[in-house]
Amino acid sequence: MSFWEKAQQLDRRIIYTVMIVILCAAIMRPVGLAISVNKETQMAYDAIDKLPAGSIVWLGCDFSAGGMPELIPTLQSVMIQGFRKNLRFVAGGMWNMAGNMAEVAWTAVSPMFPEKKYGIDFVNVGYKAGGNVLLEKMVSDTHAAFVGVDHYGKPLKDLPLMNEFKSFKDCKFIFGFFTGTPGERDYIKFVGGPLGVPIASSCVAVSVPETMPFVQSGQLVGLVGGMRGAAEYEVLVKVPGRATAGMDAQAFAHLVIILFIVVGNIGYFVTKGKSGKTT
Amino acid sequence: MRKEGPVAFGLICGLVVIIVTYFSAPALAKVKGELDQWYLIATAFAVAVGLVNLAQIHMRKINQKKEGWGYSIVLMVGMVGFLLFGMTVSSAGDPKFQWMYNTTVVPMNATMYSILVFYIASAAYRSFRIKTGEAAVLLIAAVIVMLGRVTIGEMISAMIPKWTSWIMNVPNTAGMRGVTIGATLGGISQALRVLIGIERGHLGGVE
Repeated sequence: MSFWEKAQQLDRRIIYTVMIVILCAAIMRPVGLAISVNKETQMAYDAIDKLPAGSIVWLGCDFSAGGMPELIPTLQSVMIQGFRKNLRFVAGGMWNMAGNMAEVAWTAVSPMFPEKKYGIDFVNVGYKAGGNVLLEKMVSDTHAAFVGVDHYGKPLKDLPLMNEFKSFKDCKFIFGFFTGTPGERDYIKFVGGPLGVPIASSCVAVSVPETMPFVQSGQLVGLVGGMRGAAEYEVLVKVPGRATAGMDAQAFAHLVIILFIVVGNIGYFVTKGKSGKTT
Repeated sequence: MRKEGPVAFGLICGLVVIIVTYFSAPALAKVKGELDQWYLIATAFAVAVGLVNLAQIHMRKINQKKEGWGYSIVLMVGMVGFLLFGMTVSSAGDPKFQWMYNTTVVPMNATMYSILVFYIASAAYRSFRIKTGEAAVLLIAAVIVMLGRVTIGEMISAMIPKWTSWIMNVPNTAGMRGVTIGATLGGISQALRVLIGIERGHLGGVE
């Protein structure tokens, strides 16, 4: 069997090992490649920047733990940008990890802003079942939609911020974080379209292609796509974090996958050519 | 009536939702609000139905000691444990419940997505073959976008990010727009079939 024929039968454990080594090396010894900012990320950043101080922003944490590496850095960066501008945030969502994800972000960001208080500048209403029906309910009555309590069981009427946020009509902006359905389409259908509240989206990289049409049509005012988008947002708020640290690993992982595709196809054509000559 | 009753009820509820969505009808809006509450309650019960179904499948597997029955025990212990502990706490934000959730479900969920990169790398090497012209176009576009979406693309050439942006904004958006419109038209058609009773699968075997 020739080298290329053997290469076509390469044990997948060797492929896994190569990938692990590359990823570990890139994480432990980052190169620090420069990150430029895409137009769609800049649009999302500028939209938040234009909001007047005191505006209430809904953070739709509609993702699960699988999306954390790509979406939590953006969520934290948006909160950092917002708190610098004295914006106020209400976080929650239609996915069952919404409350947990919001809590992760608040726990990371609140020490940077000790003057920001839970209940006044930030509330985590968590998750309730219902999907887009929950969104519809929030359009008219958020308190009823979340059964009158936040993620921690505290009555919403006891939280000063929630006395100003009774429904989506009271928020000036929606920044959603999505890994699937229900997601940005539901916000566009039930909130953005009927109420005219501007919506920006942060989604995982695989969702970027299907979300682009909404940016072009203006139904989304900005799109922060994947870990690259999260790293760009960290550059904009000037607080490098996990997304920036992960970009080197992602860059080398992409290079390795491209290399595998090229080598695999070279082997395919060589062995195909040989079998063609022998027949 | 056994066939027509549920269909008629579904049609009336559907019409209420459609009318309230597209027209101003304050009286019907209250009915819709009530229907929304029913939906939320039914969704919660659907979770309970899923729980019972899962328990039945895995208990049968344990009883019959089918292949992998040990994992079924782990699943049942985890499921029942979370359920019982969750019923003793006042909210999902309870610190002990959060600790259980954050130390088990969250890392396992993240792990499932993290291992995808190894399967993608393996599939890229073993399966992605340029057998046709279309596959070649797909490969070239994929390589450009993969390089353009990471920082190394700009280092290789300043044109790669521009080509990536063009691919995402022009052919990709055009194609996805077509897919979205087509899927939406299909969804409208399916919804109409359910409302007027042509589609009856949701009625559970009623002919």
